[in-house]
Amino acid sequence: MIRFRNRKKPQKNPNLTTRRTPGTPEKLTGCLESDLMIVRSCLGDSDDIEIRHLHIFNEFQGVIIYYTTLVDTLSIYRDIHKPLMYKPRHLEDKSIHLDNLMDTLMNETLYISETARVSDGADILDAITEGSTVLLIDGIPGGLVLDTRQIEKRGIEQPQTEHSIRGPKDGFIEVLDSNISLLRARIKVGDFRIKIVRIGKRTKTRVALCYIESIANPKLLKEAEKRLSKIDIDGILDSGYIEQFIEDHPYSPFPQVQNTERPDKATASILEGRVIIMVDGSPFSLIIPAVFNQFYQVTDDYSERFIMGSLVRFIRLLAIVFSLIFPALYVSIISFNPEMIPTDFAVAVAGGRAGVPFPAVVEVLLIEVSMEVLREATLRLPQQIGGALSIVGVLVVGEAAVGAGFASPITVVVIALTTIGSFATPAYNAAISIRMLRFPLLIAGGMFGLYGLMIGLIIIMNHLLFLDSFGVPYMNPVTPVSKQGLKDSLIRGPLWSFKKRPSHLHTLDDDRLGYEGVPKAEPVLQSNKQGE
Amino acid sequence: MQASSHITERQVGAVVISAIIGVGILALPRIAAEEANTGAPLVTLLGIGIAFIGLLLLTLLGIRFPRESIFEYGQRIIGRPLAYVFNTCLAVFFILLTALAVREFGEVITSAVLRRTPTEVTIITMMILVVMATRQKLLKFTYFHVFYLPFILVPGLAIVLVSLQNAELLNLQPIIGNIPARYGKGALTIAALFQPAFIVTLLIPAMQTPKKAIKSFLGGIFISGTLYMLIVCAAVAVFGPHEINHLMWPTLELARATTIPGDTLERLDAIFIIVWVVSVFTSLAASYYISINGAQKVFGSQDHRFISHFFLPFVFILAMIPKSVFSLYVFVEIVGIIGLALTIGYPFILLIVALLRKVRGEPHGNSSEVQETD
Repeated sequence: MIRFRNRKKPQKNPNLTTRRTPGTPEKLTGCLESDLMIVRSCLGDSDDIEIRHLHIFNEFQGVIIYYTTLVDTLSIYRDIHKPLMYKPRHLEDKSIHLDNLMDTLMNETLYISETARVSDGADILDAITEGSTVLLIDGIPGGLVLDTRQIEKRGIEQPQTEHSIRGPKDGFIEVLDSNISLLRARIKVGDFRIKIVRIGKRTKTRVALCYIESIANPKLLKEAEKRLSKIDIDGILDSGYIEQFIEDHPYSPFPQVQNTERPDKATASILEGRVIIMVDGSPFSLIIPAVFNQFYQVTDDYSERFIMGSLVRFIRLLAIVFSLIFPALYVSIISFNPEMIPTDFAVAVAGGRAGVPFPAVVEVLLIEVSMEVLREATLRLPQQIGGALSIVGVLVVGEAAVGAGFASPITVVVIALTTIGSFATPAYNAAISIRMLRFPLLIAGGMFGLYGLMIGLIIIMNHLLFLDSFGVPYMNPVTPVSKQGLKDSLIRGPLWSFKKRPSHLHTLDDDRLGYEGVPKAEPVLQSNKQGE
Repeated sequence: MQASSHITERQVGAVVISAIIGVGILALPRIAAEEANTGAPLVTLLGIGIAFIGLLLLTLLGIRFPRESIFEYGQRIIGRPLAYVFNTCLAVFFILLTALAVREFGEVITSAVLRRTPTEVTIITMMILVVMATRQKLLKFTYFHVFYLPFILVPGLAIVLVSLQNAELLNLQPIIGNIPARYGKGALTIAALFQPAFIVTLLIPAMQTPKKAIKSFLGGIFISGTLYMLIVCAAVAVFGPHEINHLMWPTLELARATTIPGDTLERLDAIFIIVWVVSVFTSLAASYYISINGAQKVFGSQDHRFISHFFLPFVFILAMIPKSVFSLYVFVEIVGIIGLALTIGYPFILLIVALLRKVRGEPHGNSSEVQETD
């Protein structure tokens, strides 16, 4: 369909880890005073920075630096101060020189599990801003980075945007490590890999790529890494920022990256051979590549038995189609082809519209826009008021609008059905794009009737068929047809029929199932008289 | 991560079907019955036969030259200057075909759903849609055809099925038609309806194994031919051979005459027309794509997006030339029959000359590498 030029991404400075804030020193000298001067000049006079001098084992001059707001103070007191100030008993009769001091500290003294020696000034600054504590010792170039980070986080709760009736209730939170642990707890194989890169010049946000090495296609991975490495921005505050930089067609109304708050959904995607991108500070993980099918599938489909799952999924698809074309269909039939509907009903419709001062398309457009305003208002209000607003907005205004002759009752019914239909779409981003596309369709239907509606639909369909997400055709598996994929598209086939992973992902390991055919149940509890 | 960029044989079959079934399906029963009255199904069969031969020649050529389209191997078989003339003729012919088809489409829309909208508006909107689709690469273009295939076949079959309630078997007898029945012209006009299937020549080079094209082309002709036969039979059986002559678009009348029980929808014709827009779109896009490709070879240009925009006004002007529906159908018949000489005759000459001169295309696959190792 409408073909957009590939957006040019900024090319400069592809290496993420060595990005520096201006004025950062290269190397530490080893002279404590001058090193401290350097650190002070970079960190400035923030009030939450702590630079604490101490005598290590009463022999050496040292200093520890940390932000009081980022660290676990108790751990610093217990695991750093105490062993450094009181020489531990097992070291009492050993003589310690400056040369082996660092090793002794790392291996025998400090009770911190994650320690690292760094010599680069920039690395030390990075570590401090990250929440680590840095230990500098007079006479030794470089310092010791001790992980003492402690960040406030909320507990793991049920995801707000993706409810499920049946299935796990936990959701991702804002802290990357907790999110990864949720995935790791589910996938217990060694080749489940996490690759972390830092993106954002000022926020230095950690962005994790999660995948199973023996399944995910290396080309997909390479492409994802390439696109991530090209991002050059001040700050990444949410995974949505990343999405907008890595998607294939930024001008398309349709989302080409799926997001989820649910660890079970993320796990299922990883097992299918997709790659998950998680961003520190965002509870939403990104799933790439994404095809249109994914936007009306939910995890409930797989938890329920397959016949019910298929039916429910079909209803959801119907809701999408509804929310897209229903107003346009209504307008074009009423104003261009009223002969299609039965005469009695047509008379009733005409009677309802008798006092309405506008043509059908204007009427529907007005009510649609006010419905969108109402939806947005309900979303922004505190939950307690939201309920009241929806009652006042929908019931009172709707009723009054009809009573005042401003809109016909059938229009209100159509709009209500459309809105409900769009709320039945599980993916909020896909629902919103479809909800917005119904306005152009409505106008086309108002201008050219059913013909305009059809032309509009063909344009939308052609656009969908043209889209790609990371090289995967967006309408896969419907077009191009993939037999295995069709089992999990419009219908949700039985789990034991998903023998292969989706073919469009070109996974390294195709097989999902260890056996063929329908699993047979043995009649265990049948009474067997001869055996008694 | 790039999916296979080859076109599969099923996709080629789908393109053949959706390219063939287009505007012509509405007037088809009238064309068939006009000269041969009850022999209409026989005429249709003859027409399918003629089209079959033409496409068979094209496919055989495609298999002989698996890496090229007719615009390219033509140059190698009969030489550049002569092939240049024929390529120009083909491009012009397919532009003309597109123009006439889009005009016919506009007339139908005006008479069936948008009575007060000028035909020009329908034609322009449709052509813009076609241009937008033909700007795409071949693979994506194939996807359009594959996806829309059910929307093309199902309404046609549904119309045939629901019209069975009014069918009279007597209307179809005698099968050979009342004497004097003239088969020739009707058969040729029907064969001309199959011309957008010429697009196989562009698809074969993009296939992984071009030899399988013969299978997909047979399947495509079989399915679209069956649908054509069914529609002609249904229309003649419902209206009778004489009544049909007075109907401009008998298939549309079939839809108009049928109701589905339950009184939910009183008239089906608008719905039928609207779904039919899809099949018009695919077959217009196919013939426009051929002409763009031909023109690209003639102009020696690589930018097919530009050519696709460039031809738009020409198509529009050509489409507006016929003064009325009746003169339009005179044009359609003449252009169709001249076109047959081109779309069947030219491949025929090429095949004969190729056989005589023993010209062959490079085999598909990595032939260049093979040559290097030799």
